[in-house]
Amino acid sequence: MAVIELKNVQKVYGTGAAEVQALKQIDFKANEGKVVLIMGPSGAGKSTFLTIAGSLQKPTSGQVYINGEDIANISAKQSNALRLNQIGFVLQAYNLIPFLTVKEQFELVDHVKKQGNLDQAIMDKLLEQLGIAGLINKYPSELSGGQQQRAAIARALYANPKILLADEPTASLDSKNVDEVGQLFKNLAQNYQKAVILVTHDPRLEKYADHIYEMMDGEMIKKQ
Amino acid sequence: MFLAIKEIKREKLRYGLIILMIFLISYLIFILSSLAVGLASENTQAIESWDAKQVVLNKNANVSMSQSLLTKDDLSKTKLTKNEALLGQTPVVAKNSNRPQVSAQFIGVKKDQFIYDDQELIAGRKAKKDREVVVDQAFQTKGYKLGDKLELNGSANKYRIVGFVKNAKINIAPIIYGSLASWRKLRQGMPNIKASAIISRNANYSYNHANSKTYPIAQFIKKLPGYTAQNMTFQLMIGFLFVISLIIIAVFLYILTMQKMHNFAVMRAQGIPSRTLVAATVSQSVILVVVGVIIGLAAMWLTAKVLPAAVPMSFTPQIILSGTCGMLLTGIIGSLIPVRSILKVDPAKAIGE
Repeated sequence: MAVIELKNVQKVYGTGAAEVQALKQIDFKANEGKVVLIMGPSGAGKSTFLTIAGSLQKPTSGQVYINGEDIANISAKQSNALRLNQIGFVLQAYNLIPFLTVKEQFELVDHVKKQGNLDQAIMDKLLEQLGIAGLINKYPSELSGGQQQRAAIARALYANPKILLADEPTASLDSKNVDEVGQLFKNLAQNYQKAVILVTHDPRLEKYADHIYEMMDGEMIKKQ
Repeated sequence: MFLAIKEIKREKLRYGLIILMIFLISYLIFILSSLAVGLASENTQAIESWDAKQVVLNKNANVSMSQSLLTKDDLSKTKLTKNEALLGQTPVVAKNSNRPQVSAQFIGVKKDQFIYDDQELIAGRKAKKDREVVVDQAFQTKGYKLGDKLELNGSANKYRIVGFVKNAKINIAPIIYGSLASWRKLRQGMPNIKASAIISRNANYSYNHANSKTYPIAQFIKKLPGYTAQNMTFQLMIGFLFVISLIIIAVFLYILTMQKMHNFAVMRAQGIPSRTLVAATVSQSVILVVVGVIIGLAAMWLTAKVLPAAVPMSFTPQIILSGTCGMLLTGIIGSLIPVRSILKVDPAKAIGE
Protein backbone atom coordinates (compact mmCIF):
# COMPACT_ATOMS: atom_id res chain seq x y z
CA MET A 1 0.00 0.00 0.00
CA ALA A 2 1.20 3.51 -0.82
CA VAL A 3 2.09 5.67 2.18
CA ILE A 4 0.79 8.70 0.37
CA GLU A 5 -1.59 8.76 -2.58
CA LEU A 6 -3.39 11.58 -4.42
CA LYS A 7 -6.37 10.75 -6.68
CA ASN A 8 -7.92 13.21 -9.14
CA VAL A 9 -6.72 16.15 -7.05
CA GLN A 10 -7.55 19.60 -8.31
CA LYS A 11 -6.71 22.95 -6.77
CA VAL A 12 -8.29 26.15 -8.01
CA TYR A 13 -7.38 29.62 -6.72
CA GLY A 14 -9.69 32.61 -7.24
CA THR A 15 -12.96 32.78 -9.14
CA GLY A 16 -14.24 34.07 -12.48
CA ALA A 17 -11.67 35.87 -14.59
CA ALA A 18 -9.10 35.59 -11.77
CA GLU A 19 -9.46 31.79 -11.57
CA VAL A 20 -6.20 29.86 -11.71
CA GLN A 21 -6.13 26.08 -11.89
CA ALA A 22 -2.94 25.30 -9.98
CA LEU A 23 -3.38 21.49 -10.01
CA LYS A 24 -5.30 19.54 -12.67
CA GLN A 25 -6.45 15.94 -12.05
CA ILE A 26 -3.30 14.91 -10.20
CA ASP A 27 -2.72 11.22 -9.55
CA PHE A 28 0.32 10.40 -7.49
CA LYS A 29 1.59 7.77 -5.08
CA ALA A 30 4.75 7.12 -3.06
CA ASN A 31 5.84 4.06 -1.10
CA GLU A 32 8.06 3.47 1.90
CA GLY A 33 11.77 3.16 1.14
CA LYS A 34 11.54 5.07 -2.12
CA VAL A 35 12.73 8.49 -3.26
CA VAL A 36 10.27 10.27 -5.56
CA LEU A 37 11.34 13.35 -7.47
CA ILE A 38 8.83 15.93 -8.63
CA MET A 39 10.40 18.19 -11.19
CA GLY A 40 9.24 21.17 -13.15
CA PRO A 41 9.85 24.85 -13.73
CA SER A 42 8.70 27.66 -11.45
CA GLY A 43 4.93 28.13 -11.56
CA ALA A 44 4.30 24.52 -12.59
CA GLY A 45 2.35 23.83 -9.36
CA LYS A 46 5.08 22.03 -7.38
CA SER A 47 4.61 24.12 -4.21
CA THR A 48 0.82 23.75 -4.37
CA PHE A 49 1.28 19.99 -4.71
CA LEU A 50 3.56 20.01 -1.65
CA THR A 51 1.10 21.99 0.49
CA ILE A 52 -1.75 19.58 -0.37
CA ALA A 53 0.36 16.43 0.05
CA GLY A 54 1.64 17.86 3.35
CA SER A 55 -1.89 18.70 4.61
CA LEU A 56 -1.10 22.40 4.74
CA GLN A 57 -4.14 23.19 2.63
CA LYS A 58 -7.14 21.32 1.24
CA PRO A 59 -7.64 20.39 -2.40
CA THR A 60 -10.62 21.87 -4.30
CA SER A 61 -11.59 18.31 -5.26
CA GLY A 62 -10.14 14.80 -5.19
CA GLN A 63 -8.78 12.55 -2.45
CA VAL A 64 -5.51 12.60 -0.50
CA TYR A 65 -4.67 9.38 1.36
CA ILE A 66 -2.02 9.10 4.05
CA ASN A 67 -1.55 5.49 5.18
CA GLY A 68 -4.88 4.67 3.51
CA GLU A 69 -6.85 7.39 5.32
CA ASP A 70 -8.48 10.20 3.31
CA ILE A 71 -7.23 13.49 4.74
CA ALA A 72 -8.84 15.81 2.19
CA ASN A 73 -11.51 16.98 4.62
CA ILE A 74 -10.03 16.49 8.08
CA SER A 75 -10.24 19.28 10.71
CA ALA A 76 -7.41 21.78 11.33
CA LYS A 77 -6.61 20.02 14.60
CA GLN A 78 -6.39 16.60 12.92
CA SER A 79 -4.30 18.13 10.18
CA ASN A 80 -1.94 19.54 12.80
CA ALA A 81 -1.58 16.16 14.47
CA LEU A 82 -1.00 14.50 11.10
CA ARG A 83 1.85 16.89 10.25
CA LEU A 84 3.35 16.41 13.69
CA ASN A 85 3.23 12.61 13.59
CA GLN A 86 3.38 11.49 9.97
CA ILE A 87 4.98 14.17 7.84
CA GLY A 88 8.42 15.74 8.05
CA PHE A 89 9.14 18.92 6.12
CA VAL A 90 12.51 20.07 4.81
CA LEU A 91 11.92 23.58 3.55
CA GLN A 92 13.75 25.54 0.90
CA ALA A 93 15.58 28.01 3.15
CA TYR A 94 16.06 25.29 5.83
CA ASN A 95 13.90 27.41 8.13
CA LEU A 96 15.37 26.41 11.43
CA ILE A 97 14.04 28.47 14.35
CA PRO A 98 16.76 31.14 14.71
CA PHE A 99 16.72 31.40 18.50
CA LEU A 100 16.98 27.64 19.13
CA THR A 101 20.15 25.56 18.98
CA VAL A 102 20.10 22.40 16.86
CA LYS A 103 19.42 20.35 20.00
CA GLU A 104 16.62 22.70 21.08
CA GLN A 105 14.94 22.33 17.67
CA PHE A 106 14.42 18.66 18.66
CA GLU A 107 13.39 19.59 22.21
CA LEU A 108 10.64 21.79 20.76
CA VAL A 109 9.19 18.66 19.15
CA ASP A 110 9.44 16.84 22.50
CA HIS A 111 7.36 19.63 24.09
CA VAL A 112 4.40 19.06 21.79
CA LYS A 113 4.82 15.37 20.94
CA LYS A 114 5.64 13.39 24.04
CA GLN A 115 5.91 9.93 22.48
CA GLY A 116 7.12 8.26 19.30
CA ASN A 117 10.10 10.52 18.64
CA LEU A 118 13.47 8.98 17.76
CA ASP A 119 15.31 7.68 20.79
CA GLN A 120 18.70 9.04 21.76
CA ALA A 121 20.76 6.17 20.26
CA ILE A 122 19.09 6.39 16.83
CA MET A 123 19.26 10.17 16.92
CA ASP A 124 22.97 10.11 17.74
CA LYS A 125 23.58 7.70 14.84
CA LEU A 126 21.54 9.85 12.49
CA LEU A 127 23.38 13.03 13.54
CA GLU A 128 26.66 11.16 13.00
CA GLN A 129 25.53 10.11 9.52
CA LEU A 130 24.48 13.66 8.78
CA GLY A 131 27.86 14.94 9.98
CA ILE A 132 26.45 17.38 12.51
CA ALA A 133 26.91 15.41 15.75
CA GLY A 134 29.38 18.01 17.03
CA LEU A 135 27.15 20.97 16.17
CA ILE A 136 24.08 20.30 18.29
CA ASN A 137 24.71 23.23 20.61
CA LYS A 138 25.14 25.72 17.77
CA TYR A 139 22.53 28.24 16.66
CA PRO A 140 21.47 28.21 12.97
CA SER A 141 23.37 31.47 12.36
CA GLU A 142 26.57 29.71 13.46
CA LEU A 143 26.17 26.95 10.82
CA SER A 144 27.03 26.92 7.11
CA GLY A 145 24.28 26.43 4.51
CA GLY A 146 25.06 22.74 4.15
CA GLN A 147 25.09 22.22 7.92
CA GLN A 148 21.76 24.02 8.25
CA GLN A 149 20.35 21.77 5.54
CA ARG A 150 21.44 18.68 7.47
CA ALA A 151 20.08 20.07 10.73
CA ALA A 152 16.74 20.73 9.00
CA ILE A 153 16.68 17.12 7.76
CA ALA A 154 17.46 15.84 11.26
CA ARG A 155 14.68 17.98 12.70
CA ALA A 156 12.21 16.68 10.10
CA LEU A 157 13.17 13.09 10.92
CA TYR A 158 13.18 13.52 14.71
CA ALA A 159 9.40 13.07 15.04
CA ASN A 160 9.86 9.78 13.13
CA PRO A 161 7.44 10.57 10.28
CA LYS A 162 6.57 8.08 7.53
CA ILE A 163 6.81 10.74 4.86
CA LEU A 164 9.56 13.25 4.24
CA LEU A 165 8.61 16.20 2.02
CA ALA A 166 11.47 18.39 0.83
CA ASP A 167 11.03 21.67 -1.01
CA GLU A 168 14.01 22.52 -3.27
CA PRO A 169 16.51 20.85 -0.90
CA THR A 170 19.53 21.59 -3.10
CA ALA A 171 18.61 25.14 -4.12
CA SER A 172 21.73 26.73 -2.71
CA LEU A 173 24.22 23.86 -2.78
CA ASP A 174 27.21 23.21 -5.05
CA SER A 175 27.52 19.96 -7.05
CA LYS A 176 29.53 18.14 -4.40
CA ASN A 177 26.95 18.96 -1.75
CA VAL A 178 24.10 18.09 -4.10
CA ASP A 179 25.55 14.59 -4.46
CA GLU A 180 25.96 14.26 -0.70
CA VAL A 181 22.38 15.39 -0.03
CA GLY A 182 20.99 13.17 -2.83
CA GLN A 183 22.80 10.15 -1.41
CA LEU A 184 21.63 11.10 2.06
CA PHE A 185 17.96 11.11 1.01
CA LYS A 186 18.47 7.77 -0.75
CA ASN A 187 19.98 6.28 2.39
CA LEU A 188 17.25 7.72 4.61
CA ALA A 189 14.57 6.20 2.41
CA GLN A 190 16.22 2.78 2.39
CA ASN A 191 17.63 2.58 5.92
CA TYR A 192 14.72 4.21 7.78
CA GLN A 193 11.89 3.12 5.44
CA LYS A 194 10.64 6.61 4.68
CA ALA A 195 8.76 7.78 1.63
CA VAL A 196 10.96 10.68 0.50
CA ILE A 197 9.35 13.17 -1.88
CA LEU A 198 11.67 15.82 -3.28
CA VAL A 199 10.18 18.80 -5.09
CA THR A 200 12.93 20.34 -7.21
CA HIS A 201 14.00 21.68 -10.57
CA ASP A 202 17.53 20.37 -10.03
CA PRO A 203 18.25 17.54 -12.57
CA ARG A 204 21.36 16.55 -10.58
CA LEU A 205 19.07 14.72 -8.14
CA GLU A 206 17.54 12.45 -10.83
CA LYS A 207 20.09 9.68 -10.31
CA TYR A 208 19.01 9.21 -6.70
CA ALA A 209 15.29 8.92 -7.49
CA ASP A 210 13.30 5.70 -7.72
CA HIS A 211 10.48 7.52 -9.50
CA ILE A 212 10.33 10.85 -11.29
CA TYR A 213 7.23 12.94 -11.96
CA GLU A 214 7.26 15.95 -14.25
CA MET A 215 4.96 18.88 -13.55
CA MET A 216 3.92 21.51 -16.09
CA ASP A 217 1.05 24.01 -15.90
CA GLY A 218 -0.63 22.12 -13.04
CA GLU A 219 -0.46 18.71 -14.73
CA MET A 220 1.69 15.82 -13.53
CA ILE A 221 3.19 13.10 -15.73
CA LYS A 222 5.11 10.09 -14.46
CA LYS A 223 8.44 9.95 -16.29
CA GLN A 224 10.09 7.02 -14.53
CA MET B 1 7.28 28.81 28.23
CA PHE B 2 10.09 26.83 26.51
CA LEU B 3 10.03 29.01 23.39
CA ALA B 4 9.59 32.19 25.45
CA ILE B 5 12.62 31.56 27.66
CA LYS B 6 14.85 30.36 24.80
CA GLU B 7 14.07 33.43 22.71
CA ILE B 8 14.67 35.86 25.57
CA LYS B 9 17.99 34.12 26.33
CA ARG B 10 19.07 34.34 22.69
CA GLU B 11 17.89 37.92 22.07
CA LYS B 12 19.21 39.46 25.28
CA LEU B 13 19.63 43.01 24.00
CA ARG B 14 16.22 43.21 22.34
CA TYR B 15 14.33 41.84 25.35
CA GLY B 16 16.66 43.63 27.77
CA LEU B 17 15.49 46.94 26.31
CA ILE B 18 11.84 45.98 26.78
CA ILE B 19 12.58 44.94 30.37
CA LEU B 20 14.35 48.28 30.90
CA MET B 21 11.24 50.13 29.79
CA ILE B 22 8.92 48.02 31.94
CA PHE B 23 11.28 48.57 34.88
CA LEU B 24 11.26 52.35 34.39
CA ILE B 25 7.47 52.48 34.10
CA SER B 26 6.89 50.24 37.12
CA TYR B 27 9.47 52.23 39.13
CA LEU B 28 7.63 55.45 38.25
CA ILE B 29 4.29 53.86 39.17
CA PHE B 30 5.68 52.74 42.55
CA ILE B 31 7.19 56.20 43.23
CA LEU B 32 4.01 58.07 42.31
CA SER B 33 1.80 55.62 44.22
CA SER B 34 4.03 55.89 47.31
CA LEU B 35 3.98 59.69 47.11
CA ALA B 36 0.21 59.71 46.60
CA VAL B 37 -0.37 57.43 49.60
CA GLY B 38 2.25 59.30 51.67
CA LEU B 39 0.70 62.69 50.98
CA ALA B 40 -2.85 61.42 51.44
CA SER B 41 -1.78 59.89 54.72
CA GLU B 42 -0.30 63.19 55.93
CA ASN B 43 -3.65 64.81 55.19
CA THR B 44 -5.62 62.31 57.20
CA GLN B 45 -3.18 60.67 59.67
CA ALA B 46 -4.75 62.23 62.74
CA ILE B 47 -8.32 61.56 61.59
CA GLU B 48 -7.41 57.91 61.05
CA SER B 49 -5.70 57.69 64.42
CA TRP B 50 -8.91 58.98 66.04
CA ASP B 51 -10.87 56.31 64.14
CA ALA B 52 -13.42 59.05 63.37
CA LYS B 53 -16.68 58.08 61.63
CA GLN B 54 -18.78 61.25 61.93
CA VAL B 55 -17.91 64.87 62.49
CA VAL B 56 -20.20 67.67 63.71
CA LEU B 57 -19.29 71.14 62.42
CA ASN B 58 -20.86 74.55 62.11
CA LYS B 59 -23.08 74.23 59.05
CA ASN B 60 -21.74 77.53 57.66
CA ALA B 61 -18.10 76.40 57.80
CA ASN B 62 -18.10 74.70 54.36
CA VAL B 63 -17.16 71.37 55.98
CA SER B 64 -13.86 72.87 57.20
CA MET B 65 -12.90 72.15 60.80
CA SER B 66 -10.51 75.09 61.05
CA GLN B 67 -13.33 77.42 59.91
CA SER B 68 -15.91 75.86 62.21
CA LEU B 69 -16.90 77.32 65.58
CA LEU B 70 -19.58 75.73 67.76
CA THR B 71 -21.06 77.90 70.50
CA LYS B 72 -22.61 77.02 73.82
CA ASP B 73 -26.02 77.32 72.17
CA ASP B 74 -25.02 75.04 69.25
CA LEU B 75 -23.89 72.35 71.70
CA SER B 76 -26.68 72.80 74.23
CA LYS B 77 -28.47 69.54 73.31
CA THR B 78 -25.41 67.27 72.95
CA LYS B 79 -25.14 64.02 74.80
CA LEU B 80 -21.53 62.90 74.51
CA THR B 81 -20.68 59.27 75.16
CA LYS B 82 -17.21 57.72 75.35
CA ASN B 83 -17.25 57.61 71.54
CA GLU B 84 -17.55 61.38 71.12
CA ALA B 85 -14.98 64.06 71.76
CA LEU B 86 -14.99 67.82 71.56
CA LEU B 87 -12.13 69.30 69.59
CA GLY B 88 -10.93 72.80 68.78
CA GLN B 89 -8.69 73.42 65.78
CA THR B 90 -6.79 76.50 64.72
CA PRO B 91 -3.72 77.06 62.51
CA VAL B 92 -0.70 78.36 64.40
CA VAL B 93 2.91 79.29 63.79
CA ALA B 94 5.07 77.79 66.52
CA LYS B 95 8.23 79.68 67.45
CA ASN B 96 11.19 79.02 69.69
CA SER B 97 14.23 81.25 69.63
CA ASN B 98 16.64 78.31 69.19
CA ARG B 99 14.57 76.27 66.71
CA PRO B 100 13.07 76.75 63.25
CA GLN B 101 9.50 78.08 62.97
CA VAL B 102 6.87 75.44 62.28
CA SER B 103 3.47 75.99 60.68
CA ALA B 104 1.17 73.68 62.59
CA GLN B 105 -2.40 72.99 63.61
CA PHE B 106 -3.31 73.44 67.26
CA ILE B 107 -5.84 70.85 68.38
CA GLY B 108 -7.45 71.46 71.74
CA VAL B 109 -8.93 68.37 73.43
CA LYS B 110 -10.47 67.43 76.78
CA LYS B 111 -8.55 65.15 79.12
CA ASP B 112 -11.52 62.90 79.79
CA GLN B 113 -12.26 62.16 76.13
CA PHE B 114 -10.93 59.54 73.71
CA ILE B 115 -8.72 61.76 71.51
CA TYR B 116 -6.64 62.57 74.58
CA ASP B 117 -6.69 58.96 75.76
CA ASP B 118 -5.65 57.52 72.38
CA GLN B 119 -2.57 59.71 71.78
CA GLU B 120 0.32 57.40 70.81
CA LEU B 121 3.34 58.82 72.61
CA ILE B 122 6.83 58.08 71.31
CA ALA B 123 8.49 60.18 74.03
CA GLY B 124 7.52 62.09 77.18
CA ARG B 125 4.04 62.14 78.65
CA LYS B 126 0.60 63.54 77.94
CA ALA B 127 -0.23 67.20 78.62
CA LYS B 128 -1.81 67.63 82.06
CA LYS B 129 -1.92 71.44 82.40
CA ASP B 130 -3.17 74.18 80.10
CA ARG B 131 0.35 75.39 79.27
CA GLU B 132 1.57 71.93 78.31
CA VAL B 133 1.41 70.48 74.82
CA VAL B 134 2.17 67.22 73.07
CA VAL B 135 3.45 67.64 69.51
CA ASP B 136 3.84 65.53 66.36
CA GLN B 137 7.19 63.79 65.77
CA ALA B 138 7.82 66.27 62.90
CA PHE B 139 8.88 68.75 65.63
CA GLN B 140 11.44 66.22 66.87
CA THR B 141 12.79 65.86 63.31
CA LYS B 142 13.23 69.65 63.21
CA GLY B 143 15.30 69.57 66.39
CA TYR B 144 12.72 70.29 69.09
CA LYS B 145 13.26 68.60 72.44
CA LEU B 146 11.10 67.77 75.45
CA GLY B 147 10.91 70.84 77.67
CA ASP B 148 11.22 73.34 74.80
CA LYS B 149 8.79 76.23 75.07
CA LEU B 150 6.63 77.25 72.12
CA GLU B 151 5.26 80.70 71.35
CA LEU B 152 2.05 80.25 69.32
CA ASN B 153 0.92 82.99 66.90
CA GLY B 154 3.02 85.54 68.77
CA SER B 155 0.98 85.30 71.97
CA ALA B 156 2.59 86.11 75.29
CA ASN B 157 1.78 82.64 76.63
CA LYS B 158 4.41 79.93 76.25
CA TYR B 159 3.55 76.25 75.92
CA ARG B 160 5.98 73.59 77.11
CA ILE B 161 6.47 70.43 75.03
CA VAL B 162 5.95 67.46 77.36
CA GLY B 163 5.57 64.71 74.79
CA PHE B 164 5.96 63.65 71.16
CA VAL B 165 3.25 61.66 69.39
CA LYS B 166 3.23 59.74 66.14
CA ASN B 167 0.65 59.87 63.34
CA ALA B 168 -0.42 63.37 64.28
CA LYS B 169 -0.77 65.32 61.06
CA ILE B 170 -3.79 66.94 59.51
CA ASN B 171 -3.76 68.57 56.08
CA ILE B 172 0.01 67.85 55.93
CA ALA B 173 0.63 70.11 58.96
CA PRO B 174 1.95 68.66 62.25
CA ILE B 175 -0.43 68.84 65.21
CA ILE B 176 0.13 70.50 68.57
CA TYR B 177 -2.20 68.83 71.06
CA GLY B 178 -3.21 71.08 73.95
CA SER B 179 -6.28 71.72 76.03
CA LEU B 180 -9.59 73.12 74.82
CA ALA B 181 -9.08 76.02 77.23
CA SER B 182 -5.79 76.87 75.50
CA TRP B 183 -7.53 76.66 72.13
CA ARG B 184 -10.17 79.15 73.32
CA LYS B 185 -7.38 81.53 74.34
CA LEU B 186 -5.79 81.23 70.90
CA ARG B 187 -9.19 82.10 69.38
CA GLN B 188 -9.61 85.08 71.69
CA GLY B 189 -12.25 87.60 70.70
CA MET B 190 -14.78 84.85 69.98
CA PRO B 191 -17.26 84.85 72.86
CA ASN B 192 -19.22 81.76 73.82
CA ILE B 193 -17.23 79.34 71.64
CA LYS B 194 -16.94 75.84 73.02
CA ALA B 195 -15.20 73.85 70.23
CA SER B 196 -14.65 73.54 66.47
CA ALA B 197 -16.18 70.11 66.17
CA ILE B 198 -17.48 66.97 67.77
CA ILE B 199 -15.62 63.89 66.56
CA SER B 200 -17.52 60.61 66.85
CA ARG B 201 -16.33 57.02 66.48
CA ASN B 202 -19.94 55.92 66.10
CA ALA B 203 -20.98 55.61 62.44
CA ASN B 204 -24.63 56.29 63.37
CA TYR B 205 -23.96 59.39 65.45
CA SER B 206 -25.94 62.45 64.39
CA TYR B 207 -26.38 65.87 65.99
CA ASN B 208 -28.04 68.71 64.13
CA HIS B 209 -29.04 71.47 66.53
CA ALA B 210 -28.94 75.23 65.88
CA ASN B 211 -25.86 75.78 63.64
CA SER B 212 -24.52 72.24 64.09
CA LYS B 213 -24.50 69.73 61.26
CA THR B 214 -23.21 66.16 61.12
CA TYR B 215 -21.07 64.98 58.22
CA PRO B 216 -19.73 61.48 57.43
CA ILE B 217 -15.95 61.41 57.74
CA ALA B 218 -15.48 60.52 54.02
CA GLN B 219 -17.22 63.75 53.03
CA PHE B 220 -15.13 65.70 55.53
CA ILE B 221 -11.86 64.22 54.19
CA LYS B 222 -12.91 64.92 50.61
CA LYS B 223 -13.35 68.58 51.50
CA LEU B 224 -9.90 68.90 53.12
CA PRO B 225 -8.19 71.74 51.20
CA GLY B 226 -6.38 70.35 48.12
CA TYR B 227 -6.95 66.71 49.13
CA THR B 228 -9.24 65.63 46.26
CA ALA B 229 -7.35 67.60 43.59
CA GLN B 230 -4.04 66.15 44.76
CA ASN B 231 -5.33 62.57 44.80
CA MET B 232 -7.00 62.89 41.42
CA THR B 233 -3.77 64.27 39.91
CA PHE B 234 -1.82 61.28 41.18
CA GLN B 235 -4.52 58.82 40.08
CA LEU B 236 -4.52 60.36 36.63
CA MET B 237 -0.72 60.10 36.34
CA ILE B 238 -0.70 56.49 37.57
CA GLY B 239 -3.57 55.61 35.23
CA PHE B 240 -1.72 57.12 32.29
CA LEU B 241 1.42 55.17 33.21
CA PHE B 242 -0.57 51.92 33.11
CA VAL B 243 -1.98 52.90 29.71
CA ILE B 244 1.52 53.78 28.46
CA SER B 245 2.89 50.45 29.70
CA LEU B 246 0.01 48.64 27.99
CA ILE B 247 0.78 50.41 24.70
CA ILE B 248 4.53 49.77 24.97
CA ILE B 249 4.08 46.05 25.71
CA ALA B 250 1.43 45.63 23.01
CA VAL B 251 3.41 47.54 20.35
CA PHE B 252 6.69 45.78 21.08
CA LEU B 253 5.12 42.33 21.15
CA TYR B 254 3.15 43.10 18.01
CA ILE B 255 6.28 44.21 16.13
CA LEU B 256 8.24 41.19 17.41
CA THR B 257 5.35 38.89 16.43
CA MET B 258 5.17 40.38 12.93
CA GLN B 259 8.92 39.79 12.57
CA LYS B 260 8.44 36.16 13.60
CA MET B 261 5.46 35.37 11.37
CA HIS B 262 7.59 33.23 9.06
CA ASN B 263 8.97 31.29 12.03
CA PHE B 264 5.42 30.76 13.25
CA ALA B 265 4.40 29.54 9.78
CA VAL B 266 7.33 27.08 9.81
CA MET B 267 6.38 25.81 13.25
CA ARG B 268 2.73 25.49 12.24
CA ALA B 269 3.85 23.52 9.15
CA GLN B 270 5.76 21.21 11.49
CA GLY B 271 2.54 20.58 13.39
CA ILE B 272 3.29 22.79 16.40
CA PRO B 273 -0.23 23.75 17.62
CA SER B 274 -1.32 27.42 17.65
CA ARG B 275 -1.93 27.23 21.40
CA THR B 276 1.79 26.51 21.95
CA LEU B 277 2.69 29.66 20.00
CA VAL B 278 0.03 31.74 21.80
CA ALA B 279 1.20 30.44 25.18
CA ALA B 280 4.79 31.30 24.23
CA THR B 281 3.80 34.90 23.42
CA VAL B 282 1.70 35.40 26.57
CA SER B 283 4.28 33.77 28.84
CA GLN B 284 7.02 35.85 27.20
CA SER B 285 5.08 38.98 28.12
CA VAL B 286 4.55 37.73 31.69
CA ILE B 287 8.27 36.94 32.07
CA LEU B 288 9.26 40.41 30.78
CA VAL B 289 6.77 42.15 33.10
CA VAL B 290 7.75 40.05 36.15
CA VAL B 291 11.48 40.71 35.64
CA GLY B 292 10.87 44.43 34.96
CA VAL B 293 8.61 44.80 38.02
CA ILE B 294 11.03 42.92 40.31
CA ILE B 295 13.84 45.28 39.28
CA GLY B 296 11.39 48.20 39.74
CA LEU B 297 10.51 46.98 43.26
CA ALA B 298 14.18 46.60 44.17
CA ALA B 299 14.94 50.12 42.91
CA MET B 300 11.92 51.47 44.78
CA TRP B 301 12.99 49.75 47.99
CA LEU B 302 16.45 51.33 47.67
CA THR B 303 14.89 54.72 46.92
CA ALA B 304 12.65 54.51 49.99
CA LYS B 305 15.75 53.73 52.09
CA VAL B 306 17.78 56.61 50.71
CA LEU B 307 15.13 59.37 50.63
CA PRO B 308 15.01 61.71 53.66
CA ALA B 309 12.10 61.30 56.10
CA ALA B 310 10.80 64.74 55.05
CA VAL B 311 9.66 63.26 51.71
CA PRO B 312 6.13 62.02 52.36
CA MET B 313 6.57 58.60 50.76
CA SER B 314 4.71 55.53 51.95
CA PHE B 315 5.80 52.30 50.19
CA THR B 316 3.15 49.91 51.48
CA PRO B 317 2.40 46.21 50.72
CA GLN B 318 -0.85 47.37 49.09
CA ILE B 319 1.16 49.46 46.60
CA ILE B 320 3.47 46.50 45.85
CA LEU B 321 0.49 44.19 45.33
CA SER B 322 -1.68 46.55 43.28
CA GLY B 323 1.26 47.85 41.20
CA THR B 324 2.49 44.32 40.44
CA CYS B 325 -0.98 43.00 39.63
CA GLY B 326 -1.72 46.07 37.49
CA MET B 327 1.48 45.64 35.50
CA LEU B 328 0.88 41.89 35.06
CA LEU B 329 -2.63 42.58 33.83
CA THR B 330 -1.43 45.18 31.32
CA GLY B 331 1.28 42.72 30.19
CA ILE B 332 -1.26 39.96 29.59
CA ILE B 333 -3.70 42.30 27.82
CA GLY B 334 -0.82 43.68 25.73
CA SER B 335 0.25 40.20 24.70
CA LEU B 336 -3.28 39.28 23.58
CA ILE B 337 -3.20 41.89 20.80
CA PRO B 338 -0.71 39.99 18.57
CA VAL B 339 -2.45 36.68 19.42
CA ARG B 340 -5.03 37.32 16.68
CA SER B 341 -2.23 37.48 14.10
CA ILE B 342 -0.68 34.26 15.45
CA LEU B 343 -4.00 32.41 15.16
CA LYS B 344 -4.30 33.54 11.55
CA VAL B 345 -0.85 32.26 10.50
CA ASP B 346 -1.11 30.18 7.34
CA PRO B 347 1.32 27.24 7.58
CA ALA B 348 1.30 26.96 3.77
CA LYS B 349 3.27 30.24 3.75
CA ALA B 350 6.30 28.26 4.95
CA ILE B 351 6.51 26.52 1.57
CA GLY B 352 8.39 28.18 -1.27
CA GLU B 353 9.93 30.96 0.85
